Amino acid sequence: MNAEIYLDYAATSPLDPAVAAAMSDCLAHEFGNPSSQHAAGKRARALVEAARAEVAARVGAAAERIFFTSGATEANNLALKGSLARRGARAHLVTSTIEHRSVLDAARALEQAGVAVTYVPADSLGRVAPDDVARALRAETALVSIMHVNNETGVIQDVDSIGALCRARGVPLHVDAAQSVGKVPLDVGASPIAVCSLTAHKVCGPKGVGALYVAEGVSLAPQMHGGEQEHGLRAGTLATHQAVGMGKAYALADPEREAPRLAALRDALWERLRAIPGVRQNGDPQRRAPHVLNVTFPGVEGESLRFALGDVAVSAGSACSADSPEASHVLTGMGLSDALASSSLRFSVGRFTTEAEIGLAAARVVAEVERLRARARGAPEWCTT
Amino acid sequence: MEYSPEVVRRFDSTRRAGELQAGSGGLVSGEAEDRTLGVWVRFQLQVSDGIVRAARFAAFGCPHTIAAADCVAEQLEGARASEIRMLDVRAIQRELGVPVAKLGKLLRIEDALAACSRALPGT
Repeated sequence: MNAEIYLDYAATSPLDPAVAAAMSDCLAHEFGNPSSQHAAGKRARALVEAARAEVAARVGAAAERIFFTSGATEANNLALKGSLARRGARAHLVTSTIEHRSVLDAARALEQAGVAVTYVPADSLGRVAPDDVARALRAETALVSIMHVNNETGVIQDVDSIGALCRARGVPLHVDAAQSVGKVPLDVGASPIAVCSLTAHKVCGPKGVGALYVAEGVSLAPQMHGGEQEHGLRAGTLATHQAVGMGKAYALADPEREAPRLAALRDALWERLRAIPGVRQNGDPQRRAPHVLNVTFPGVEGESLRFALGDVAVSAGSACSADSPEASHVLTGMGLSDALASSSLRFSVGRFTTEAEIGLAAARVVAEVERLRARARGAPEWCTT
Repeated sequence: MEYSPEVVRRFDSTRRAGELQAGSGGLVSGEAEDRTLGVWVRFQLQVSDGIVRAARFAAFGCPHTIAAADCVAEQLEGARASEIRMLDVRAIQRELGVPVAKLGKLLRIEDALAACSRALPGT
């Protein structure tokens, strides 16, 4: 068995050794509660605030506008529910059909509570048109939530334009930027973004920690109660070592340094895969993050391809774990059939991906696609269209 | 998704994937599909003197479907053609450790066998 080739950085990423060292040092020596007033607590508080400053610096925010959470899912829930909670039964939310599940499921929960939600569609290249968002706005719209980098296609949404038109209408814009940091520049302080969700584990930081940027003047209702931590927005004892890990990960995550290398790896992979007859890339090739490549292999069943690849870790555009496989809502939202969406894989590269791994992975994919297509020779047209 | 060792073995090394040569006589085929489940299966059988002499399959489907089709094709060889509809896909599901949630896909194998049966001369 060969060593696993990990091409699933958009799902999660390995911990950078420097991050692990910082966390380990914290765990070994600083157990204090950052809210305590004694010396141990103050040392822990200092570490948390230093980490907060690192996170803030990476995204162009003032440190006091960064609030730690358990991850982007909690941050997204806090952003949506916290924005809508005080707006009453007539509140309205605008989001898109291709958001991460943590946004879509939060939106559906709000719908069940009586909030009206408009889901703006994406076009065939996975782009949400600012004009479509503008048309969806109502007098009672309390929030617009549009992701920055799509987690399946890597397409970068035009959040600056969307934010500008939201600001003109007095509506705050929430941006899920879980895939952005370290890959594409993000400067919330210079943009019309009001609220922004962040996470650590996509960028070689630890799982279980994220943050929410909340611009000055934006008010959110806390969704957890039990303490005044994070200025009352997020109750619960701060996990100092997690914050330290996120701070270190964000300090290391420089898109100017990493993005060109990631884009070169992604492009090298596509150059090899494009030799397969019928393959297609999904998403706008001109406006996408450097680390994600989403490819459809017509005529190849997705679960079988993932299984056949075995030691090449990739993700599907779909989940085929049940009797009724559910095709990727992102890809079908871009107009792909269920069959093509299910025949798609997401490859995502990261800090520790090598050129040699790209070559080996591409060779495996080419061979397995050929083998599975041979097994399906004579299959009906719907398997390929 | 978990796969039993037998599913892994059959998926990695299918023995009866492919096509039988046309013109070898007594060739019947049958196929079935379910687009919503994302599965298509076709069997080709070479039948002589009422006995299945060779069986091959082609499939667009998940690893469980491919492993089960391979297992079915193997069991068909040597069987009486009149009995191919009697083959118990549920028994194969249990034998291969296929999750019950995948039974709908495996039942398309049964449908393909029924189509083969209907294609037999004299039926």
